Amino acid sequence: MLSEKNSTIVALSTSLGTGAISIVRLSGEKAIEIADKLFSSLKNKKPSEFESRKLELGFFNAQNFKEQILCVVFRAPFSYTGENLVEFQCHGGVRIAEGVINACIDCGARLAESGEFTKRAFINGKISLDKAEGMMDMINAESEAEIRAGFNLLGGALGKVATASQSALVDLLSDIEVSFDYPEEDIEYTTKEKAKNKIAKINEDILSLISTSNAGRQIKDGISLLILGEPNVGKSSLLNSLTKSDRAIVTSIAGTTRDTIEETLVINGLKYKIIDTAGIHETEDEVEKIGINRAKSLISGADMCLCLVDCSKEENDKDREVLSLTKNSKRIIVGNKIDKTNKPRQNADIYISTKSEKDVNNLKDLIYSKTADKNITSGLVITNLRHLDALKRAQKHLENALLNIEFQTLDLISVDLNLAYSALGEITGSTTGEDIINSIFSKFCLGK
Amino acid sequence: MKYDSIVIGGGHAGVEASLSLARTGNKTLLITLTKKSLSFMPCNPSIGGTAKGHLVCEIDALGGQMGISADANCLQIRMLNMGKGPAVYSLRAQIDKNAYHRNMLAICEKEPNLDILEDEASEIITDENKKVCGVKTKSGEIFECKSAVICVGVYLNSRTITGTVIKNEGPAGFSNATLLTQNLANLGFEIRRFKTGTPPRLDGATIEYNKFIEQKGDTNIQSFSFLTKKTPKNICSCYLGYTTEKTKEIILNNLDKAPMYNGEINGIGPRYCPSIETKIVRFADHDRHQLFLEPETLDTNEIYLQGMSTSMPSEIQKQMVASVEGLEHTKINKWGYAIEYDCINPLNLYATLESKIVKGLFCAGQINGTSGYEEAGAQGLLAGINANLYNKEKQQIILTRDNSYIGVLVDDLTTKGTNEPYRMMTSRAEYRLLLRQDNADIRLTEIGRSVGLVDDIRYKKFKRKMQSIKKAEEMLDTIIKPSKMLDEFLAKYNESPAPKGLSLRALIKRPNITIEAIKKELGYFKGFNKDVLNQISISTKYEGYLAREKQLIERNKKLEEKQIPEDLDFLKLDGIRIEARQKLAEIKPKTIGQASRISGVNPADITILILHLK
Repeated sequence: MLSEKNSTIVALSTSLGTGAISIVRLSGEKAIEIADKLFSSLKNKKPSEFESRKLELGFFNAQNFKEQILCVVFRAPFSYTGENLVEFQCHGGVRIAEGVINACIDCGARLAESGEFTKRAFINGKISLDKAEGMMDMINAESEAEIRAGFNLLGGALGKVATASQSALVDLLSDIEVSFDYPEEDIEYTTKEKAKNKIAKINEDILSLISTSNAGRQIKDGISLLILGEPNVGKSSLLNSLTKSDRAIVTSIAGTTRDTIEETLVINGLKYKIIDTAGIHETEDEVEKIGINRAKSLISGADMCLCLVDCSKEENDKDREVLSLTKNSKRIIVGNKIDKTNKPRQNADIYISTKSEKDVNNLKDLIYSKTADKNITSGLVITNLRHLDALKRAQKHLENALLNIEFQTLDLISVDLNLAYSALGEITGSTTGEDIINSIFSKFCLGK
Repeated sequence: MKYDSIVIGGGHAGVEASLSLARTGNKTLLITLTKKSLSFMPCNPSIGGTAKGHLVCEIDALGGQMGISADANCLQIRMLNMGKGPAVYSLRAQIDKNAYHRNMLAICEKEPNLDILEDEASEIITDENKKVCGVKTKSGEIFECKSAVICVGVYLNSRTITGTVIKNEGPAGFSNATLLTQNLANLGFEIRRFKTGTPPRLDGATIEYNKFIEQKGDTNIQSFSFLTKKTPKNICSCYLGYTTEKTKEIILNNLDKAPMYNGEINGIGPRYCPSIETKIVRFADHDRHQLFLEPETLDTNEIYLQGMSTSMPSEIQKQMVASVEGLEHTKINKWGYAIEYDCINPLNLYATLESKIVKGLFCAGQINGTSGYEEAGAQGLLAGINANLYNKEKQQIILTRDNSYIGVLVDDLTTKGTNEPYRMMTSRAEYRLLLRQDNADIRLTEIGRSVGLVDDIRYKKFKRKMQSIKKAEEMLDTIIKPSKMLDEFLAKYNESPAPKGLSLRALIKRPNITIEAIKKELGYFKGFNKDVLNQISISTKYEGYLAREKQLIERNKKLEEKQIPEDLDFLKLDGIRIEARQKLAEIKPKTIGQASRISGVNPADITILILHLK
């Protein structure tokens, strides 16, 4: 997989997960052009108007996705890669970073391959051999872990399905190619109709693989759970009883939990990341305000919100605020403190007492059933963004082939099929094209 | 005697090499065993075909000879793959092989800088720096030279096999060359043994043609060469027939007599050109196999029986031929045979076709493990071009996978190597849409000009064509205003109406509309010739696809251009797997792009290789 001179690449530069911030890097000729389509500062300036290397606050605006984030522009050659480079610094959470990356891809960027930023930095003379060698261990680790591990997946379920799709393509391509290279043989050449059916079948298989990527993401990155509720409703106690640790400081003074904190919980083998937030209410306290803003933005990034209300009391403004903030998100309304009342005074999906173990287990079951992707147990899931990217590209080429096969000649259709073949090869490791020729000779009786 | 260059062997590679050297001002000697075998076609009497037609057009664009002589000596011409798209259109001509030989011999003899000597080269003489400085012959002569091109075809230690009759000779009864193999091995070349074969030749006067299906040439005739003015003519037909159940039975009953199966033949044969016995064994479920009757020359009645390549004993060959309907009473003029020969491992060569072992020594054609006249001619031309540049101490040229089939051919040979005689196929070219026959001149004429092979006549003609294309391109944005004429035109070709009018470009893109119809019926593009309009049509209709291939090329270009120093010790590159290091050390890629195509070297290895460079 060699670097494209003119392509613009994008990737998450910080580690994947729910860290405090995530940095997405976009590098290449069109980096600033793409950023212009997606970002504008609070003063309504576009990245192309930004001063180099100056941080700008503004909105990242993509389809179904709007986030307040920071953006900084580095103009070539004064950047890490030596190309135009844009960095987006956003709130932590996989969803947001992924949203930013996907929006960049939709605008024409391509997901970077392992070590590609460093590779470009090297090719453009930005780093010396010394430095490069210093980084080699790191890149080695990356490529070893990702590229080789990726190829090693061959034996795994994904590898098997990808290989099967690729062999089906090889089979089809050899049918088409043999008609080009041996047009006068006594063999039954494939028809457009037959080819179309075969392409449709491969396309379906790949689509169903792609559909497992959500489950894959859940397995790899975990499912994020956001606990929301007014101060002192028992969010930290819930966190503690879910995870049985005492990481969060539990006090009865409202607003103790000033920053978001994160805990990992495993339910039925699936990893959950629980994020506790500062209580959502308007406050003059600056530090707490940051926490609240972050909570709001985390809602859009979370897989599931647990809205905690005190069911021993009537619904108040704070509860309503929480409920209105989450009304378009996946959520479970949890009525806490059921032990303090005979009859819940607010509607909730489940009533618990953070003091009682049994209630908490019921809540866990409810969380699992409402969040876990149905593909989780199927064993075949896409966990790797690079694989997903390759599958999506393969699928796009197949779709193109299907679209055009009625009215275009086969030499053009074979271009799409060959591209799909090599995209799949990024998963299976086989992109030589030699196997198509081998297949031609093993299937057909040819020659003078 | 002192020459600039010596070419050993006068087949299709040797002649292209000799002519290109002589035409670029090098005093050149062509050593051949006999002038009778100069540009001889010992197997099928045709030039071109799928992917091979592309090679011939490329040879022509670079200033080579094959296309011109093929056009001039053609018996029948057909464009294959019509209807499958312009990328795979392939021209194939049946050739009068005697006339072709005579034509080429006359051209070589007339070439002022070229001497021809009938002798056998026995030794490449090198100096203390392992540079070529001369060639010795069997008769004891020593000729000094700056560079040499080896184009010995299938003649090295060759032997032909027909049943139990084994002869130490070259193809078609010509004598073989027995001295050079040992010399090449001593120099350090890896010697291999390949095999190929040819079918029996028939006496055409004894064939019942009415039992076969006649195949006529095209009515709309095209030529290989950009320079050919007189359109080639169809003089003969070919005929299609089939083997029978009886043929199969005869072969299966006599497999113990087949040298292919009784252990007599050890060379590696090509999968794409199997003998009839191999076809019948490997594809046992097929009841019949195709046979084509092809004329060899107007001088005689001799017919080439395509599809029946065999090394069976003559007695069995007689039965096999007689088992075909229409050939029951046919006389055989020449027996089919298999031929084994020595060749080198092409991994011993750079992509310039200069050897990695001896400086100034180039190899081209079947000695490099290829098969086919066109593959040989293409390599001979490239080797001749680079031997000339070497003589003049100029930078040699490399043709690339994105500018030509020749580039694909040479890159495959020198990067991947080959384990069987290598045949060009369109499937081997990843940028097939861009590497078409119809644009070979556009892709390569400038290169041919820069190396001194494209003369003023060809170059002026080419420039005129390019200007004409540019003019036609400028017209594409012309808007055709709505009119009754336009409505009727669109309706006639089942295209949806364009009430607001449309641009010429948009009109050409309509699938059912041809540019010829636009010219004829709407009156646009007056004064532009067919060739120019064809270019406009293809580049417009396939714009999106062509752009995508260009993108792919760009994607690889930067690393394709990143050179690897010649003295790099691959074995010492930490971080690269041992297996990959060994492969790299063996092949010595010149660019990162080339390194990435070596089998057994994976993307992670390449990343680390890049980091080691700089």
